[in-house]
Amino acid sequence: MRTIKSKVFSPAIRIVVLMIITTGVAYPLLITAIGQTTLPYQSNGSQVVLNGKVVGSELIAQNFNSTKFFQPRNSTDSGSGVDPDITPNMAISQIPVISNATGIPVNALKTLVELDIAKNKETNALVFAPDYINVLNLNVELVKQYPEVYAQEVLVKGGT
Amino acid sequence: MDIVILLVVLVGSLGLAVVFGRYIARMIIYEKRPLEKTLGRVENGFYKIIGVDKYEQMTWKQYTLALIVTNAIAAGFLLAVLIYQNNLPLSPKPGLSLDLAFNTAASFVTNTNLQHYAGDQQLSIFSQMVGLTFLMFVAPASGMAAAFAFIRGFIRKEFGLGNFYVDFTRIILTLLLPIAFFSALLLLFLGAPQTLDPTITVGTLQGGNQTITIGPVASLESIKDLGSNGGGFFGANSAHPFENPTGVSNVFECILMLVIPLSFPVAYGHLLGKGRGISILAAMLIGFGVMLALGFSEQSGPTGLETRFGSFGSALFQESSIATNTGSANASLTGMSPNAVIGLFLGMFVQAIPGADGAGMMMMIIFVILTLFLVGLMVGKTPEFMSMKISPRDVKLAAFVFLIHPALILVPSVLAYTTESAQSILGEQTTPATFTQVLYEYSSAAANNGSDYLGTSANTPFWNWSTMAVMLLGRYAPFVLMLAIAGSFTLRDRKEVVEPIKTSGFLFVGVLSIMVFVLTVLTFFPFLIMGPFSM
Repeated sequence: MRTIKSKVFSPAIRIVVLMIITTGVAYPLLITAIGQTTLPYQSNGSQVVLNGKVVGSELIAQNFNSTKFFQPRNSTDSGSGVDPDITPNMAISQIPVISNATGIPVNALKTLVELDIAKNKETNALVFAPDYINVLNLNVELVKQYPEVYAQEVLVKGGT
Repeated sequence: MDIVILLVVLVGSLGLAVVFGRYIARMIIYEKRPLEKTLGRVENGFYKIIGVDKYEQMTWKQYTLALIVTNAIAAGFLLAVLIYQNNLPLSPKPGLSLDLAFNTAASFVTNTNLQHYAGDQQLSIFSQMVGLTFLMFVAPASGMAAAFAFIRGFIRKEFGLGNFYVDFTRIILTLLLPIAFFSALLLLFLGAPQTLDPTITVGTLQGGNQTITIGPVASLESIKDLGSNGGGFFGANSAHPFENPTGVSNVFECILMLVIPLSFPVAYGHLLGKGRGISILAAMLIGFGVMLALGFSEQSGPTGLETRFGSFGSALFQESSIATNTGSANASLTGMSPNAVIGLFLGMFVQAIPGADGAGMMMMIIFVILTLFLVGLMVGKTPEFMSMKISPRDVKLAAFVFLIHPALILVPSVLAYTTESAQSILGEQTTPATFTQVLYEYSSAAANNGSDYLGTSANTPFWNWSTMAVMLLGRYAPFVLMLAIAGSFTLRDRKEVVEPIKTSGFLFVGVLSIMVFVLTVLTFFPFLIMGPFSM
């Protein structure tokens, strides 16, 4: 009886310990090391930088409380609660309000929306996703193109 | 565009299944693999430390015992990690309650990954990485090892079922780990993070602060999909942009989920006859095709879906995930159309179209045995499989395997209502929608699937203990019976005669598919009527 027990338990315990080290420690740490050295942008959450400052992750929705910006979906409307994207229709329907608030011509806003759609299409090898707009990227583009319009919003708490 | 996505997923997963199926066949019969010398040397080092003789064959009882004991020790490790994570390194969080920890340990060791917790909020980086990622290798490797032994039972008399420790080691080191490694790097490239930091705090565009949960996501995500696991790093699972950042990653994850389940019939074809392998593959694809058709037949969302996937990308992912018993989700189930949900139930009821890594293949062979028995009765012939007579005991065991599943779904569903446990989390008023959620919970637990509607709301002692019992019985009871069948087949004489009922060809595929459908529908129809059909 004792030999049967040791014959089963001893290899089982050893194989578990070996696999914890291999798959639970070595494998994720190796991926972390490779990621941090070769793909630091993705590894650290795809942080978007504007004028040398991090302004969010392009993969995670953030709130915009000014009507000068495009708005993401309400958090509970999506599957993740942090959907960073909206559909072209949702973006286009927001254009009049933004144009009113900022004085940026409707056509210029439309162009920026289309450029973002094209950029996302490229990310998705043209065919692997429906057309969509990344709200943060689009808003960052707005700030870049019209810094004077957004001077107040962007500098509210951030300092210079 | 949608059709391109579908074609890439189907052609990609089938193409890779041809390659990996051939490789798996070599593993099953110990044939030379590419890089055999190097692989052999690494494996021999492991065997030495483990203390096993790689040539020692196990009986079906020894094999089953080794599998269960190894699983129990691995689950015990995870249990301890979850309870004591507050004392462990890497951003400790409060330890989980006993019932939640037991539920989670059972969930991950049985390849279910039902999650009554939200990983991003409740688990430390150590728990996610050393605890869960490790179990995500153990569970599929155990299922595949069982399938190796099961298939060996049919190859030839006394071929031997193999040695569990040898199979387990080889599957992890030379199949799961290398694929998971490259897939993790690809997912990383596509945007999944990989860091040991638990959170990042960023300034927002308007100058506020945003705290974002992060961690070693890519390394968990790849084995989550490859290993039919499905337990997300985040509560939102593959809907979360860090787990599934783009349409490209969505397609890649679908392929990753499908590849090993589809490789098994290919391997089976190499070992037991090409026609038979193709026929099993065809039957699996017909079932999967029905699920996809249901998923695409109605528009899902947009509420509950992610914009970057849309209705098509969500339905494709959900049906692929549930068909392979992975159970991950790229959208909220409440956002899926009723037809799509019926497709998901179909996948969980059959468990073999194509089913989980290893376990799906075994289940399909059980359906083959049942089909041969039933057809044999109709035409008045003694059923045979692989030139062996199917004995009454084989049929009884196969029927048990089949019947365990509805029993594990329906009995606890009734209990959930009689004990008021369903009402306490879903409201006093029972509607088809809330009944569907209860039925789904136990279907998912019994099929070792892991997707669910209830999520953290089911973190109560009743739901934790009851689903834990269902997951354990749903995993190990069929395994014991299946390996018992293999154990008796391997000792049996083969007669080289023409099969009385051919187990390949169009006719057989048709009969098998109809049998699978009829057996499933007869068992579950009343409950589908009360739930999803009435939504």
